[in-house]
Amino acid sequence: MIAMFTADGKLAVLKAYFKIILTYRGMLLIHGIRLLLLPMVLASAWLSIEKTAQNPYSDSDYLLYYLLVPVIMNLTDSRIVFKFSLAVKDGSLNRDLLKPFPPLMGYLLESLANNAMQLFYLLPFSFVFWLFVRDRIVLSHLEPSLLLYFLAAIVIGGMARLAVSGSIALLSFWIEDVTTLNLILNGGIWALLGGMIVPVATFPDKIRYIAELLPYRYMLSFPIEIFSGRLAPAEIWQGFATALGWIAIFSIIMRLIWKRGLKTYTAYGG
Amino acid sequence: MNEQQHEYAIVSSGLNREFKVRLKAEGLAASLRNFFAPAHKTVNAVNNLDLQIRPGDIVGFLGPNGAGKTTTLKMLSGLLVPTSGNIDVLGYTPFNRDHAFLKSISLVMGQKQNLWWDLPPVETFAIHRRIYGLTDAEYKSRISELIDMLEIVDCLETQTRKLSLGQRMRCELAVSLLHQPQILFLDEPTIGLDILMQKKIRNFLLDYHRRFKPTILLTSHYMDDVAALAQRVIVIDHGNKVFDGYLNDLTHKMHPEKIMSVLLNNGEFICLPEEGCRLIHHDGHHYRFMLDRKRVPEMAARLYATGNIADLTIEDPPLEDLIGQLFTSDKPTRP
Repeated sequence: MIAMFTADGKLAVLKAYFKIILTYRGMLLIHGIRLLLLPMVLASAWLSIEKTAQNPYSDSDYLLYYLLVPVIMNLTDSRIVFKFSLAVKDGSLNRDLLKPFPPLMGYLLESLANNAMQLFYLLPFSFVFWLFVRDRIVLSHLEPSLLLYFLAAIVIGGMARLAVSGSIALLSFWIEDVTTLNLILNGGIWALLGGMIVPVATFPDKIRYIAELLPYRYMLSFPIEIFSGRLAPAEIWQGFATALGWIAIFSIIMRLIWKRGLKTYTAYGG
Repeated sequence: MNEQQHEYAIVSSGLNREFKVRLKAEGLAASLRNFFAPAHKTVNAVNNLDLQIRPGDIVGFLGPNGAGKTTTLKMLSGLLVPTSGNIDVLGYTPFNRDHAFLKSISLVMGQKQNLWWDLPPVETFAIHRRIYGLTDAEYKSRISELIDMLEIVDCLETQTRKLSLGQRMRCELAVSLLHQPQILFLDEPTIGLDILMQKKIRNFLLDYHRRFKPTILLTSHYMDDVAALAQRVIVIDHGNKVFDGYLNDLTHKMHPEKIMSVLLNNGEFICLPEEGCRLIHHDGHHYRFMLDRKRVPEMAARLYATGNIADLTIEDPPLEDLIGQLFTSDKPTRP
């Protein structure tokens, strides 16, 4: 497996993206701040308002939740929509299509490199945040199996985000500007039903049920719910199955769009 | 090549490519109409194009802007799917984009095709080596040879975006040739470069072709490129092939005249129109005139017989004029 990864240039391309990101350190810091800012504002808001009796989240739960939101957001982040639509517009997709290398693999590797490098900024900030609130956060429930579920949920969440984002990105073959569509589907709905603005577990039952059916919860809220110890093993496996189902569906959609898109691709520019 | 050595490296038959282009008249009302009922027209960028190119040939692909040259190169390299027709390049169907096919070709379009913009060229070379699966020995010998031939040792470690146009173009060529493609598609390889750099690139391409014998299909607006590199030219206009043959044949067919320049020792030169002679420039004792190419030996002999000739040269009309003539309405003979 590792030999396959190194043999056909994937490792070389991944390393190249790391080198590019290291060239633009300032940009990385700005992205890091962007990821931190909104969750911190939301955490402050939720802590300052009075909770209803039906709300299952305590202040401690909110603190842990919003401590993890920037980290999970970063780890499952994908830049494929912005990058791919640009590549179609300026013709740089031509370069990828002429290489004996899977053309979409570069976007995955770029996201991996970007997300990994961003952690260098995020983790120290999150650690400082944790130092301030650690007395109010309960972590005694954490055990190795839960951490394994948590890590698996992050990987699956990242794959789900990439599959949904990839499907939107590939519409660039027909739509001049997919960023607005991305803002709706992968921005607004994701922020709402994925649990960025409000934790999914605190939704009214009917909305929570819809959120659990859609893919967005698995990109953000689901790994945090596992880490918080709020889900039973059966619920975790059910979540994995739902997320993997969405990944399969969007992978098929991506494959179909890719095949049709290439036929209509006009390869403008150099 | 795929399975067996083919007689032709590139074959296409009945190749067509249509583009749907959106139309909009001027003004707000037209914009509103267009919003509800967009109007389109279909443009035939390439029309029923037949090509046969032998392995190792250098072929110049000529035509005015929008003639369909780049579209054809993009179809031959697998970037564009043809609307109809067949293409066979080294035994492969390009738009299937088999990795074996992609390892056998290179397309150079401008200076951003292969180089990683944010990294120095040396990093691009290393990535290219991995993607194309070159061995250590292959990589080292090829890259050192290309660095020498292209004289790029000084720019290897500078970020690509900070290189000059000429440096980028030479690095672009180096990376494009690192895997020793059997077919090289060159789309305007010298565009924007100064005369010295154009010449350097041309000399490099000639030298490279002499050593490795790749098939080269070249488009260029600089006729010096075509004249220096290609023996055979294919001329297309509005997607249609209008000439396919040797450059000399094109010159003969398009321009039955040669330019004769004469510098006299003294006195005046007398040439009668009925002798097939047309004066185009006169400055002191220096005369330039167009002459039917069949009459050149006889006229040269007559002039030398006068004993009054300080210098005499005979040349073909500039290729630019000739190609320009092909695409203007008053073209004399379209082959």
